[in-house]
Amino acid sequence: MIELFISKFTDTKVDYTKIDNEYFVISKRLNEIKQDLKPELIGLFLGKDSKNKFYPALPLLDILAKTSKEKVIVKDIGEMDFIYGKNLRKRHIEKIEGEDKQGFFKLIMNKKGECLGYGKLEKDNKVKNILDKGDYLRREKD
Amino acid sequence: MNIFLKRYQELGQEVKPIQLQTAIRTNLIKISNNELKSRLEERGVKVKKIPFTKNGFYTKSRFSIGSTLEYLQGFYYIQEAASQLPVEILEPKGITVDCCAAPGGKTTQLAMSSDVTLAFESNFKRLQSLKNNLERLGVSNTIVYNQDARKINGNFKKILIDAPCSGNLILDTEWLMKQTLINVQQRSDLQKDILGNMINQLDDKGELVYSTCSLEPEENEMVINWALKIFKVKLMDIDCIGSPGLTNFQGKDFDKSMTKCRRLWPNRTNTQGFFIAKLKK
Repeated sequence: MIELFISKFTDTKVDYTKIDNEYFVISKRLNEIKQDLKPELIGLFLGKDSKNKFYPALPLLDILAKTSKEKVIVKDIGEMDFIYGKNLRKRHIEKIEGEDKQGFFKLIMNKKGECLGYGKLEKDNKVKNILDKGDYLRREKD
Repeated sequence: MNIFLKRYQELGQEVKPIQLQTAIRTNLIKISNNELKSRLEERGVKVKKIPFTKNGFYTKSRFSIGSTLEYLQGFYYIQEAASQLPVEILEPKGITVDCCAAPGGKTTQLAMSSDVTLAFESNFKRLQSLKNNLERLGVSNTIVYNQDARKINGNFKKILIDAPCSGNLILDTEWLMKQTLINVQQRSDLQKDILGNMINQLDDKGELVYSTCSLEPEENEMVINWALKIFKVKLMDIDCIGSPGLTNFQGKDFDKSMTKCRRLWPNRTNTQGFFIAKLKK
């Protein structure tokens, strides 16, 4: 299921290893020195399958942002609103790159070229927030 | 007078609660020290280099330093100044073991210079915070295991034991009321078990750093003194702030080389209480 998700953003291949229902980037070196124990985490976590759906992790979005053309660049005002979990409106958006049709998935980038999360283009160029880096803070509170 | 304050006084220290400066450590995996400093200053954060750490800064801001975009991008870890020292003293390279890893401050620090970090955490509930921090900081060279440090098995050249300890009164305002000497002794027993096992897993040419954020001799010098007697290990010199380790306490003499350890008294270093020892075979 990760392949389908990646294909929404880029044609470039992402090397990953699937362990149970989770995906990781695992270097050759890490593979060589694994202990006999089952690891809780190995390398960079990319996301997981759950109930027939893929849930990406934020590092995967950073990887995709290196090659994807499907991006929404936000103004400074949009940057904080987005990571606070809000949807984007026209006033937040500097530029839309790639397809600008409703229903397309977009990586949300700030003007410094840093990925803030991803969302889905809706009517009138609004963007529905699906996942943003404010998630790290929300997890800390849980 | 509280029994712990009395003990500190016997050691010539007047330990009082102090307001610690907020400290962060740059995540060199994602950003340089200079770039991070500029980014935070642009946001109005006052940033000052911590003089005794390689990648640490004191920060002052009108808002929480744990909610900036730079924090969420994983450009830094909020890490008290003294607790940045054990990893620097270990000088990680190759495969490094972190024995009591959660929540991951030192694990993510080790990841900046190790080839591979093996991070062990016995408490399943604390694993999530460790995984979150590794993810936020973009660490890709670490393997996390849910394993008790007393059961780790292998042959390692670099080992960090930031041992579970009773803590200190700087981090917890109610510490003096909560702590007992019995609790300190229980911690000491656990620390000996962990250190003993890990010395057995230390390569003949390996190095091990033992640290705690406790000021109690039972959790520090007495643990190291026990190890020096039982195992073929010796203390190494440490180049960092702090006072020499104690060579005696309440009539008990310790190995003379204990002065090679470092003890960070809050009233002297303006940090939390801390203890660091470096051992080799």
